Amino acid sequence: MPSSTRSSLLTRIDRDAVREGLPLLVPAVPFGFILGLEINNSLLPTEAGFSTSAVIFAGAAQLAVVTLAGTVSMVTVVVTAMVINARHIMYSAAVAPLMTKQPLWFRLLAPFVLIDQIFALAVTKRHYDAKKFRRYYLTLGAMFFLTWQCLTILGIVFGDVLPTSLGLGLAPALMFAGIVVTMITGRPAAIAAVTAVVVTLITLDLPNRTGLLVGALAGVLAGYLAEGRQPQ
Amino acid sequence: MSGIEAIVIVALVAVGTYLSRGAMILLLADRELPDNTLRALRQVGPAVLAALVVTFVADPSQANRGVSLAEGAALVVSCGVHWRWKSLLVTLIAGMSAFWLVRGLSG
Repeated sequence: MPSSTRSSLLTRIDRDAVREGLPLLVPAVPFGFILGLEINNSLLPTEAGFSTSAVIFAGAAQLAVVTLAGTVSMVTVVVTAMVINARHIMYSAAVAPLMTKQPLWFRLLAPFVLIDQIFALAVTKRHYDAKKFRRYYLTLGAMFFLTWQCLTILGIVFGDVLPTSLGLGLAPALMFAGIVVTMITGRPAAIAAVTAVVVTLITLDLPNRTGLLVGALAGVLAGYLAEGRQPQ
Repeated sequence: MSGIEAIVIVALVAVGTYLSRGAMILLLADRELPDNTLRALRQVGPAVLAALVVTFVADPSQANRGVSLAEGAALVVSCGVHWRWKSLLVTLIAGMSAFWLVRGLSG
């Protein structure tokens, strides 16, 4: 690769995105390995199982697809995956105001990589100008997408070597909890978060993780009402 | 399972996933949103991520559902550390260390 092209590529990488995104990649390692293992055990052909990483790119929904495919009806597989992904509609609505000044190509590309981790980081960058936000978001998207493809392949090949006893599955929760704390800049956000926690705990037994949606919606409503009652 | 059936499942979920992530961006990005909508959207981040933390930790599909002492300690440490230092790497190291320590001590 010519050095001018290489340096041009490097200058497009957002260092803040790399610094903030790397810790969130760590927990993806065991998840990728588990997914690879499940692809091997799935009734889906291995190529189709791997293709879920390339075209769906949503860990939990992929896991549902590869474990359910062939054991229940096609409609059940698709509906289950959609229910798991329903929280993305809220992510999409929340980042829409950040896309106002973005070109159409970016608005079309951005949703493809709007995963939990990228939402959690991008939604805190409301103060960025359009160009800086785009570079930050694309750097994160490329990092997470490419890493996920590599992890899926490694998982298919070496899926059973990573010890589950490390408990690394807890890592995303720890980092998301930290991010929530920094998002709480006032009473409404605090009420939104606490309500979401309580309602999600109460509705934990609803099928297909719908408790997550019920809890999140209850949190949004509570925060919305709390902000409306604040003195102007 | 036939190859065609597999392709149809993966394609439908891929399109559905893209639409769930993109529909609102494509519908709302060009519009001036009313204050009420913006007020609700400001709560989405803290509410969804807080709910996600609960489902990750107290996953009902796991045998050890609920929040253990070690998990609770790790969450508290992570919140405190991230609030103080705002670094996800430090948060990850501190939280996982707290988890392993309390899990080890509580046997």
